[in-house]
Amino acid sequence: MSISSFDSRIPDPLTGLVGGIGGTPARQGGIFRATGNTLGGDFYLALLARGSAGIVLLMLATLVPVLAIAAVPSIRGFGAGFLRTTRWSPEHEAQKRDPRTGFLVHDEDGEVIKKTVPGVFGALPVIYGTVVSSALALLFAVPVSLGAALFLVRIGPWLTASISIISFLIEFLAAIPSIAYGIWGLFVVAPFLQNHLEPPLNNFFGHVPFLRFLHTDGQPIGRDMFNAGLILAIMILPIITAISRDVLRSVPRVQIEGTQALGATWWQSSWAMLRYGRSGLFGAVMLGLARAAGETMAVAMVIGNAIQIHSSIFRSAQTMSSLIANEFAEASTDMHRSALIEVALILLMMSLAFNVVARYLVVGRHSRAGGA
Amino acid sequence: MELTAYDAYSRGKSTIMFGLCVLSTGAILAALGLVVGYLISIGYKSVDVAFFTQAPVPPGGVGYPGGMLNGIVGTAILIGLASAVGIPIGLLAGVYLAEYSSNSWMASPVRFIADVLTGVPSIVVGILGYELLVVPLSHHYNGWAGAVALAFIMIPLVARTTEEMLLLVPRSYREASVALGATKARTILKVVLPAATGSVITGVMLAIARVAGETAPLLFTALGSRFIETNPNHPFPSLTVQIYRKAMEPYKEENRQAWAGILVLLLLIFVLNLMVRLAASPLLRGRHPRR
Amino acid sequence: MIRAKTIAASVTVLLGLGAGAFAQDVRLQGGGATFPAPIYQRWVTEYQRLHPEVKIDYQEIGSGGGIKGITDKTFDFAGSDAPLSKKELAKAGGAPSLVEIPTVAGAVVVAYNLPGYKGELKLDGPTLAGMYLGAIKTWHDPKITALNPGTNLPNLPITPVYRTDGSGTNYIWTNYLCGQSAEFNGTIGSGKTVEWPLGSGGPQNAGVTQIVQQTRGAIGYVELAYALQNRIPYAVLKNKDGNFVRPTGESVSMAGEGAVGNMKSNILAADIWNQPGAKAYPISSFTYIIVHKDLGILKDQRKAQALVQFLRWATTDGEKMAEQLDYAPLSPGVQKKVRQALDSLTLDGKPVATAR
Repeated sequence: MSISSFDSRIPDPLTGLVGGIGGTPARQGGIFRATGNTLGGDFYLALLARGSAGIVLLMLATLVPVLAIAAVPSIRGFGAGFLRTTRWSPEHEAQKRDPRTGFLVHDEDGEVIKKTVPGVFGALPVIYGTVVSSALALLFAVPVSLGAALFLVRIGPWLTASISIISFLIEFLAAIPSIAYGIWGLFVVAPFLQNHLEPPLNNFFGHVPFLRFLHTDGQPIGRDMFNAGLILAIMILPIITAISRDVLRSVPRVQIEGTQALGATWWQSSWAMLRYGRSGLFGAVMLGLARAAGETMAVAMVIGNAIQIHSSIFRSAQTMSSLIANEFAEASTDMHRSALIEVALILLMMSLAFNVVARYLVVGRHSRAGGA
Repeated sequence: MELTAYDAYSRGKSTIMFGLCVLSTGAILAALGLVVGYLISIGYKSVDVAFFTQAPVPPGGVGYPGGMLNGIVGTAILIGLASAVGIPIGLLAGVYLAEYSSNSWMASPVRFIADVLTGVPSIVVGILGYELLVVPLSHHYNGWAGAVALAFIMIPLVARTTEEMLLLVPRSYREASVALGATKARTILKVVLPAATGSVITGVMLAIARVAGETAPLLFTALGSRFIETNPNHPFPSLTVQIYRKAMEPYKEENRQAWAGILVLLLLIFVLNLMVRLAASPLLRGRHPRR
Repeated sequence: MIRAKTIAASVTVLLGLGAGAFAQDVRLQGGGATFPAPIYQRWVTEYQRLHPEVKIDYQEIGSGGGIKGITDKTFDFAGSDAPLSKKELAKAGGAPSLVEIPTVAGAVVVAYNLPGYKGELKLDGPTLAGMYLGAIKTWHDPKITALNPGTNLPNLPITPVYRTDGSGTNYIWTNYLCGQSAEFNGTIGSGKTVEWPLGSGGPQNAGVTQIVQQTRGAIGYVELAYALQNRIPYAVLKNKDGNFVRPTGESVSMAGEGAVGNMKSNILAADIWNQPGAKAYPISSFTYIIVHKDLGILKDQRKAQALVQFLRWATTDGEKMAEQLDYAPLSPGVQKKVRQALDSLTLDGKPVATAR
């Protein structure tokens, strides 16, 4: 039996090579091939494990059809325009206007004619909202998380006998319910932004053309994309930090000592650590991003709920998740509900596509990259 | 620039980065302090004995405002039920992804799907639960549906974190185990999982904390109840839904109850976390690979 | 090895879980509108004090949720701030199979944030419409100063605040303004959710309240209880008769009295905004409870009896608690119609036999 990898994706700590000395037997079941124990514990564990993985597949298989069926009326009604339209106007009643002249129409008795204006729905503003708020959240959270993870793994142990208290505290952030974040964002962060941060930014950046996105372009409002990005960042910090910490902690000493032996600075060896663990770190960031994109309650309270696209991050906006949360319960027409479900479906598709592409770009063909 | 150029620029950069890492940790702790500090400041006054022993009383009623015992018991039971379903399935799926993926077509799709499922908005999970569990099966809101909705959120999260943590266990552990004649199942159960216990528990606790703080999935499945419920066949209360309702009321006293509820929820998770870590610490002693 | 303690604990848990199934309680589940939630909660707890075995729960998930609940039959009774539309009635089984009764009435008030402004602000419908359309941009606009002569309105821009989530309050507000301004009627229109050209939006009454409180020069529409509890000043509005009226229990009840004539058969829905009456408050509305006419769907005679008795009690004795919680009780004429509607509830074809 050749020394082949148990799992071709785990790099050997000593050599850092993926696949081991003898190469990677791709589909042979690895080192356990000769020890097969078909009717013993092996069988049951494999069965349970496969079954659980199957349940995950089943979860998606239940979710997608239910969403797809409910979204059909909207897909049929709006087609591809749904992704391009920026108007989101549920069905309502309004007075009839003559389409040619724009004047309000009256009937013979001079009474106003009220007609039902059918709903017009377009998802572009909320797609924009989700993308920008999630990007902001990652922008704020990822550097801070990775920095904290590095601290916990490299610096912390030298300072205190156990850094587990700090770790514990960081995980505590995950225990705060999303409504609490929403309340804090609404009552503390929004007034702060409105009164203390945004006015100076207006004075600074209002006149610089390329930095208009930092200008509030109107009254400072506090409940805007920036607020949402900030709150989301704080919400996803614990998950990215906790996983990154464990990933970095498992980087073999040998790797670090190797770089240090070559004369690396602290940062250079830390960077080597980050590169070594980039697959796990990528997983951590993906989980954080998923949380950010799917967050409903907290975002609904701090983002301003304005279905619009605006270049400034200090204007109100709306994300896909919080739009659904806001409007689903009271959606009065089937088309409205269907449009909201279509938004959910689009979010699902977007995350799938993003996941596949990002994983390929960052981690490469093997879902686990080798080390140094 | 080579990886290990040791010039003044690199040294300077290193010092700055070092400082930034310290600052980052400080920033996270500061954020925690700000948020929790604010929550404590608005909530502590309303946390009293009645809060833990009574059901809520509406404005104008006898014994107003009462407490949130219904929510406390409800959340505890819901987390219990959801974990009973979600943790085993999530763990096993994680084991599958980490240990059984080399000779299976399923692994890559399951990994992507798990990642995507962690990003499903919680309200969509609630809607799914309503359409599949409440309307067709039981014709009324019930606690089981709420627990299943929460488990739906837990499973992909636990699966992915477990996978990531299991993959951190060095290959040599598995090889050594095989060299000693262990079967695959034995290796996973007796060598790999124990080596990753601390990290796997972290993942599980993150999932529990996440699920304990969710409102939207429960709104459409368990609904909520002003009664202290222990029967999951009935509409089921939870701290988060209670908090949400009270926060949206016009009455200040009700709002204060909501802030108190948040603190109690935090306390609940804190205690749970502590208990789990203490219980697991004998398992962890001497296990974590100190390469 | 299963220890005795574990067995004991498991048995206790199982007993606890099963306890609900063995009790003699009658449980009813209702849900829906958020506006009347405080009084409904008061009612169900008071009723339980009088009849300890009747356990009614009401969950305020929004009017839409209530309507869905009665349609899907996941609720025994539902609350809605807006009367059911024709489509909703059809979907829930058709108007003849439902009973819709008003329970209390309330006011939508116009809250504002004008620092330093003392006294009552007077406004009227067309002016409000102008503000929300963007035609009236600052508080110094002549239309506003004309209504409030001799006062010192601050020179602030107007920020109209609206509800971003669908709601009965939106329905009432937009319908009122549609009647006050043809321009509003033609552009924004009316409905539970509409598109607003400008201003700032927040979810729920609490959100709107919070934004008005934090934004100088803001104006927003909220339920009376929110303005009172948060001590926000609210405007005095000009009603149909031309008088400026404050929103009080009395002025809202006045608005409701005129609606009796419009209430027919079992769907007692009536819009009571902009009603004639010297003291009627212009933005008033009822809130409704909807039940199925044939309570056989409850599959339990005791439940049906309890529900009918509760609703009867609520719309008579219960009305006495309305004012305390900032609601307007039903006027006697309306109460009579409600009683007739409740009398028409049947159980498998026969009227529901109750003590009264």
